Amino acid sequence: MASSLRALFRRRSRTLLALAGIGISAALLLDMTMLASGLTESFGELLGAKGYALRVTPKGILPFDSDATIRDAAATARRIASVPGVAGVAPALGAQLYPVTGDSAREPVFATGIDPRGQMLYRVLRGREPGPGEVVVSEPMARDDRLRPGSVVSLASGLDVSLGRPRGTRRYVVSGVAEFLYDYAGEHSVALPLGEVQRAIGRDNQVSLFGVSAAEGVDPGALAARIGRVVPEVSVYSTAELLRETSRRLSYFRQMATILGSVALTVTALLVATIITIGVRERFGEIATLRAIGIARERILLGVVAEGLTLALLGCALGLPLGLWMARRLDRILLSFPGLPSKVTFFTFDPGRVAFALAVVVAVGAVAGCVPGLGAVRSPLGQALREEAE
Amino acid sequence: MSVISARGIVKEYPYGGDSVRALRGVDLEVGPGELVAVVGPSGCGKSSLLNVLAGIDPPTEGRVELLGRDLGALGEGERSRLRLREVGFIFQRFHLLSVLTAAENVEFPMAEAGVPKGERRARARELLEYVGLGHRVGHRPPHLSGGEQQRVAIARALANRPKLVFADEPTGELDRRTGDEIIALFERLNADGTTLVIVTHDTSVAGRTRRVVEMADGVVVRDGRAGG
Ligand SMILES: Nc1ncnc2c1ncn2[C@@H]1O[C@H](COP(=O)(O)OP(=O)(O)OP(=O)(O)O)[C@@H](O)[C@H]1O
Ligand SMILES: [Mg+2]
Repeated sequence: MASSLRALFRRRSRTLLALAGIGISAALLLDMTMLASGLTESFGELLGAKGYALRVTPKGILPFDSDATIRDAAATARRIASVPGVAGVAPALGAQLYPVTGDSAREPVFATGIDPRGQMLYRVLRGREPGPGEVVVSEPMARDDRLRPGSVVSLASGLDVSLGRPRGTRRYVVSGVAEFLYDYAGEHSVALPLGEVQRAIGRDNQVSLFGVSAAEGVDPGALAARIGRVVPEVSVYSTAELLRETSRRLSYFRQMATILGSVALTVTALLVATIITIGVRERFGEIATLRAIGIARERILLGVVAEGLTLALLGCALGLPLGLWMARRLDRILLSFPGLPSKVTFFTFDPGRVAFALAVVVAVGAVAGCVPGLGAVRSPLGQALREEAE
Repeated sequence: MSVISARGIVKEYPYGGDSVRALRGVDLEVGPGELVAVVGPSGCGKSSLLNVLAGIDPPTEGRVELLGRDLGALGEGERSRLRLREVGFIFQRFHLLSVLTAAENVEFPMAEAGVPKGERRARARELLEYVGLGHRVGHRPPHLSGGEQQRVAIARALANRPKLVFADEPTGELDRRTGDEIIALFERLNADGTTLVIVTHDTSVAGRTRRVVEMADGVVVRDGRAGG
């Protein structure tokens, strides 16, 4: 009711302070809502980015979790491809190669052997897929080492420990510059035909994993099960399973988000309840008088609840932009953590979830206003009038 | 028909494990158009009686009929509506809503009673003029003196054209002269046909009413009707 809202704004500095507090805790709650789902969701998008819904790995090993490889790769690839519903098989073999300048090696880069006809690792930005004796380099590497399609890079397969000199150096022509989907920000990495990597690191006919794409309309989960039966010596993960796994590994994130979110909600409730309680207390006499002259309890209660609602709504209006801004900052900080793909985000803005979180804040505000309000309209009226007169 | 008819009113307040007996059997009849002063020493039960008569507090024993209705038979909501539409209240502390203007304070109970906006406006102005505050309609209570606030409170009490007005120490916070002006206003109101019951310490108030009900220790000890 208008009069009680006016009362709220008459206590301007107090109301503003409370609003700032509610805004901040709403922002925190919002961020925690976005965080709880963000990493898994964006990782899920990334996994499916090039259309490969399944990952086939050495038995019991998660993708790129160890150095283990699938042996007899060519035959395994053929067996997988023969399973009905498989549209494509993309091999990948991870390795470390050392860029060489002059006769000294630099920091190793992540190198992946791929099949240029079907790979799930990168998107070519300039140039083309690599042929024999060619590499595709990541954008940060191209920028830092000034590489263009046509440039030449020397890559060593290892270091001579005693001499500290590169071993097995080979020269490659850069065929293209690409955006590597799973790289962290600024990572240097290269991709070259599978055979080149297998030869360089002495792992003939081995791969770290296969990406498998399902034919149109084929359920990835069912396809994974079929591949598992045909090729029992490997593990098959659907994107959903990998996400479940990531999500399990990130459960501490979610726990933290849940705890911080609950704390934020509690703080909101306490702030609203405190400010409304003080306001109701100050207007105890007014409220008792209104009841005495016959203003319905419900009307009075509504006015008090409206105050709580307004505080919560305004708090949300402050909290939304603040929360989005904080999420961006936090995202940048968290992603600077080494080894995290720069394409993922920790915070995803899901309008449904955000609306839900804000609705919870508003509901909490209403309830928090309701408690002191009920206290005021339920107290015995005669006594309320008397207490007031003291 | 009586405006107020109270029989055998007992009011006890539970206090700790014990109880305080504020009213010990009060009978009171108030007829239409009367102006009644209820007087007595502090703590004798005047406010308790007023609250019981007005249906603000239920009596522990006894029966109150207000404007022909048995209060004991009415629910909280019905009593609230009865007070809104047919009874006016004036308190020692005026208790206006400080965020509203004088006129808005007067309009408030009318809005609750569903009086249309235009009519509300006109009547609030008329009432403020009646209490001598026609020139302060847009002012908020913090900018008004105590006497002026009490006048606004009186205008508010009259908003829904009550047949009966209760006042509990209406001059308690005012100086002598202002208090007299307020009493004069009550006399005018009474002359215009409203029944009034005024609880007061103020002997000068009592001296100016036609009927004085004197209380002591929870009972009526004297009920002096004018000329009787
Ligand atoms: N809620 C309550 N709990 C306990 N005792 C109460 C309560 N209300 C009133 N009393 C007691 O009842 C008695 C009558 O109080 P009441 O307020 O009706 O007196 P009063 O005549 O209006 O006094 P005053 O002139 O000081 O306003 C007093 O003794 C008071 O202490
Ligand atoms: Mg009293």
